[in-house]
Amino acid sequence: MKTKQNETQLFRVNSHSKRKSDLKWHIIFIVVVILMLYPIVFAVSTSFKTLQEVYSNSFGVIPQNPTTAAYAGVLAKIPFLRITFNTFFVATLVTLFKLFTGILAAYSFVFFDYKGKKVVYFILICTIFIPFTVTMIPNFITVSQIGLKDNLLGVALPQMADATGIFLLRQHMRGIPRSLVEVAELENTPHLTRLRTIVIPMVKPAIFSIGIIFFVNSWNEYVWPLLILKSEKNYTLSLALQMFVSSEGGVDVPMAMATSVLTILLPLILYIFCQKFIIETFSQSGIKG
Amino acid sequence: MRKQKAGISAADEINRRFLKKSVRDVMTAWGYILPALLVFAVFMFWPLIYTVAMSFFKGNTANPTKAFVGFANYMTVLKDPNTLELLKNTGFYILILIVINFLFPYVMAFINHFVMQRGKKLYKVIIFMPSLISLVVGAMLIQWLFNPIIGPVSKLVVLFGGTMPTWSKTPGLVIFVISLVACYKAFGYNFLVLLSGVSNVSGELIEAARLEKTSNFKIFTKIVMPLTSSTAIYVLIMSIVQGVQFVFTPIKILTQGGPNGASSNILYGTYQEAFLYFNSGSASVLSVLTMLIFIVLLILEFKYVEKGVYYEN
Repeated sequence: MKTKQNETQLFRVNSHSKRKSDLKWHIIFIVVVILMLYPIVFAVSTSFKTLQEVYSNSFGVIPQNPTTAAYAGVLAKIPFLRITFNTFFVATLVTLFKLFTGILAAYSFVFFDYKGKKVVYFILICTIFIPFTVTMIPNFITVSQIGLKDNLLGVALPQMADATGIFLLRQHMRGIPRSLVEVAELENTPHLTRLRTIVIPMVKPAIFSIGIIFFVNSWNEYVWPLLILKSEKNYTLSLALQMFVSSEGGVDVPMAMATSVLTILLPLILYIFCQKFIIETFSQSGIKG
Repeated sequence: MRKQKAGISAADEINRRFLKKSVRDVMTAWGYILPALLVFAVFMFWPLIYTVAMSFFKGNTANPTKAFVGFANYMTVLKDPNTLELLKNTGFYILILIVINFLFPYVMAFINHFVMQRGKKLYKVIIFMPSLISLVVGAMLIQWLFNPIIGPVSKLVVLFGGTMPTWSKTPGLVIFVISLVACYKAFGYNFLVLLSGVSNVSGELIEAARLEKTSNFKIFTKIVMPLTSSTAIYVLIMSIVQGVQFVFTPIKILTQGGPNGASSNILYGTYQEAFLYFNSGSASVLSVLTMLIFIVLLILEFKYVEKGVYYEN
């Protein structure tokens, strides 16, 4: 509020030159926005072009003879519904599990006091900084040994050891007013009830947006499906996409772009509808308690 | 609890109940972190130990029998000229990521919050959007956007009288183009976090500086930077940690480390040793090297950021 007041004041003092200098910054931001959006526009537009038009008119945003042939081609070439379901299944499993362990652990770190708490939290947070290649080989061996190679569960399991949820949920739970919890403390309410009736409702928006990001991250996961899955019927979208890549080109570009569009559709729809929560939650991911 | 025997003083009973309760509380507390700890034990802590151990054994990734060789794997990897190339490339990637994914969004966050006046809210919503796009899709988009024949980028270059080299065959350029995929993915998130860091700086402070006719450049370097240093270091380290991992997918999909290892980095090198040459010993040595690099970052993180970021309230 305060800054807004200051802004209007400033604006009044030097209205003309302010507007002019603002324009310069808007241009920079608009350029960045175009750089961010153009690839998406390119993918959508190319997916509706014919192969000939890709070569003759790669700049044109609106296809001259729009066709859905590429989409039909994708559906004919790969078991698309099955692959989408696989991806959905893995992403849902990973998301629910990470939220479950994350909520419980964050509750423990915020509302209990015990020896070793800080050390355990510190170690868990450190794992955020460990690149996946460091644990990749042993995890591959573990998954193979429990017989989950070429199995969607084998793709999901290694993704579950991720501390970002614990970190973010703890940040949000710390913001809950103490007084709310103290009443429960005096009444000796069981912890599970406190968690269900006080804590979870208070951090619902955070759980919601963290859940969406977990889902999208797992939806986009490439390395684990690559290492674990072998047969096409078990593929996830990332692996299906890879079938349309070759470094020399020589691949049906519209079909490659159609598959890309189908892959980013769900994440983008989720983002457009939940954008407010997501922005709010992730703005705070580095800062404050 | 209620069935206490008579003969115990009230104070005693309260004491005992408190103790009982606190023991139970500690049990509950550990019970609540147990599910997380179990998963971490199997898929994080055990693999870490196992990787370090494997670096001392000669073995095949697909075969459990291994022979102890001491530091022989380390000697092989450290003497290999490819390792130097991997480290050099990793450094090059990090440099590009720092400029595009840390410096740019930092300055833009300042401009967005303190310099621009109106219509600035929508930008972060759009700029964050590519963070949700899969790296595989990002890699495919880059491949076609930069395609030497039909790519719009190449056509632009030709329009301005240049010639577009085959980027995937040109050392140096290949690293830059692949970095763009990681930049596309991480830029928006970094901008968002930096923006919220910058918006915590008091507007009155900036106002006061403006009244004294301080330039925007000075306001940024002398006021905003020192006051947002913990957020900045957090984003700097995250952009390195994530960026190095984000480039793995485009390397794997588009160049497989080529031409001649010119686009490989230490993570892709590890993958190559482990799953293409099935040499678990060398792969583990590279993993240990990766860990050492990241431990340095981690120490920096906790030295400079931990106090400011995690315990700020």
